[in-house]
Amino acid sequence: MKVETTLSGSFPKLPLEPGAPNVRVVRNRMDQGKATPKDLAEAARETTRRIVALQESAGVDIPVDGQVAWDDEQTYVARGIQGFEIAGLIRYLDTNTYYRQPEIAGPVSWTRPVTVEDFRAAQAMAHRPLKAVLPGPYSLYRFSKDRHYKDPREAVSAVGEALALEAKALEDAGAAWIHFEEPWLGRARAADAALAAAALTPVFRGRKAKTVLHVPFRSPAAVFGAIRDLAWDVLGLDLVEAPDSWSLIAQVPKGRAVGLGLIDARNTKLEDPRQVAKEVRRARAMRSDLSWQLCTTASLEYLPVDRAAMKVARLTEAARLASANGG
Amino acid sequence: MPRGLWTTTVGSFPKPPHLERARNQFARGEISADKLREIERDATIEVIRSQEEIGLDILVDGELYRGDMTTYFAELMEGFQISNPVRSYGNRYYRKPVAAGPVRRTEAWTVDWWKFAQSQTQKPVKGMLTGPYTMMDWSFNEHYPSREALAMDLAEAIREEAIALAEAGAKFIQVDEPAISVRPEELKLAVRALGRAVEGVKAKTITHICYGDFDVIYPALLDLPVDMIDLELANSRYDLLDRFRQHRFTKEIGYGVLDVHSHRIETKEEIKQGILRGLELLKPEQMYIDPDCGLKTRTVEEAKEKLAVMVAAVREVREERGITA
Repeated sequence: MKVETTLSGSFPKLPLEPGAPNVRVVRNRMDQGKATPKDLAEAARETTRRIVALQESAGVDIPVDGQVAWDDEQTYVARGIQGFEIAGLIRYLDTNTYYRQPEIAGPVSWTRPVTVEDFRAAQAMAHRPLKAVLPGPYSLYRFSKDRHYKDPREAVSAVGEALALEAKALEDAGAAWIHFEEPWLGRARAADAALAAAALTPVFRGRKAKTVLHVPFRSPAAVFGAIRDLAWDVLGLDLVEAPDSWSLIAQVPKGRAVGLGLIDARNTKLEDPRQVAKEVRRARAMRSDLSWQLCTTASLEYLPVDRAAMKVARLTEAARLASANGG
Repeated sequence: MPRGLWTTTVGSFPKPPHLERARNQFARGEISADKLREIERDATIEVIRSQEEIGLDILVDGELYRGDMTTYFAELMEGFQISNPVRSYGNRYYRKPVAAGPVRRTEAWTVDWWKFAQSQTQKPVKGMLTGPYTMMDWSFNEHYPSREALAMDLAEAIREEAIALAEAGAKFIQVDEPAISVRPEELKLAVRALGRAVEGVKAKTITHICYGDFDVIYPALLDLPVDMIDLELANSRYDLLDRFRQHRFTKEIGYGVLDVHSHRIETKEEIKQGILRGLELLKPEQMYIDPDCGLKTRTVEEAKEKLAVMVAAVREVREERGITA
């Protein structure tokens, strides 16, 4: 059985080749009044084209668009949802990156598509179905400051319903895959299980697209009992930083898929594809009733672009070896 | 009469525009290293003069010759390579250290700068270093088998520099550990690494920590083997004091009263109120009043104005409470 490959989240925006369209340079020039929003849109389009092409030429089965317009992993979507305001920069967990903290200032409601236009533009550049990426509702809530709701359950449900409507809009635009990135699930305690389930239930309910629930950095073991039976299709696990996530594979419901996060998105050290393939075979030996994806542990944007590109090549090579030797 | 409420800063000062231009020119090969060094030295003299004019008690060199707080040190060490740019937010990027071999200190990193800054003033100048846990956490690791192994080798290197600073005459040595608060499960490792970095250092030792889940790391934070812990109070509206109420803060504290992420200049009254709230739980001799974090993200004018209001507020509190410096 073939092991499908995909990335978990975004991809570095800077070009590998000097002189190629560069959103960083154009944004700096805009700050100096030397470039226009049209110049930036053009650079962003070419950057997306490059990111999609890099994945396709490496043989990634389910590419992503790289989230070129996003400043961080939360605010691009939060900014477009009614009820959120965007506040100051704070640290993004232990990644030594930052995000602007969303603040829930009023009732959260979805009023218009936020990511659909980007998705359509990227899909038009691709030769295979892209995976749309959204922040997970539980994480978006936990990354935010809630100034409006008195009951956290009411708040997470509202965030979940809003993201469910965004997912529906993506489906209507043709998205075959929708990925929810949920770093906070790995930090949730058992007491948070009901809250996590309340957040996630709306986004998986009634989906036509295949859905991925991806948990980078840590194992979601403490709340897995509450989210195990939700209607996700793929559970993405970080098996590098959170090797204890291996134990969850035994608990995945029959017929689902597991995304094996074995390509480390937080360290430049390159994996040996043979070793990664061996780990894939180890997983397959554990359960014959599951499907498998091989993915990065998290967003490759934590790496410089040269290493990120090498990691993509290792990812597809490892999947090829795993499929050839055990499929 | 009690003593205390000494004023200081956390470390970095904003680079003046002409220095930023010079750094860019140097990066493009348009000016020499000597020329850049000359501009950095002049800017450092200006920062020392500013601090004296404002009336701060313990000065810093402003770190105008440094870029990123980890990469600066990694570039001077054996064993590190520097990565291509990695994004930190939006359009901001930095080059990240890569531990590609055993990391070692082969030359002094800051001693000459410290000596130069101290030669410009009669007031004490702090020695400023980045801590082993933060250096480890903010580097890629391609060589060491574990995070602990890298952190402990870094601790040895940082200790050599801290001892060299103390031998040069530094009375205060600050070893910043902003990464500590984001991985509370590794606090013990951070304590051990920092402990080794300051072991046998004959100076008052300080660590600066900012942004994080203090509910999880306090009061265990008090295990950090330094004389003073520098914390941001203003940014979190002094809610750390609630934790101090539940568990007494037993060390000296760098008590942050200026929000370094805000352009707004705090009022003297709000800073006074913040200090007075602290004095309900802390003794004046425990307290060093400073901004929440480094000032490098503010403009030169904003930094000066904020510090001037801070010093004025401290003077009034001292006068009202009969506290001397």
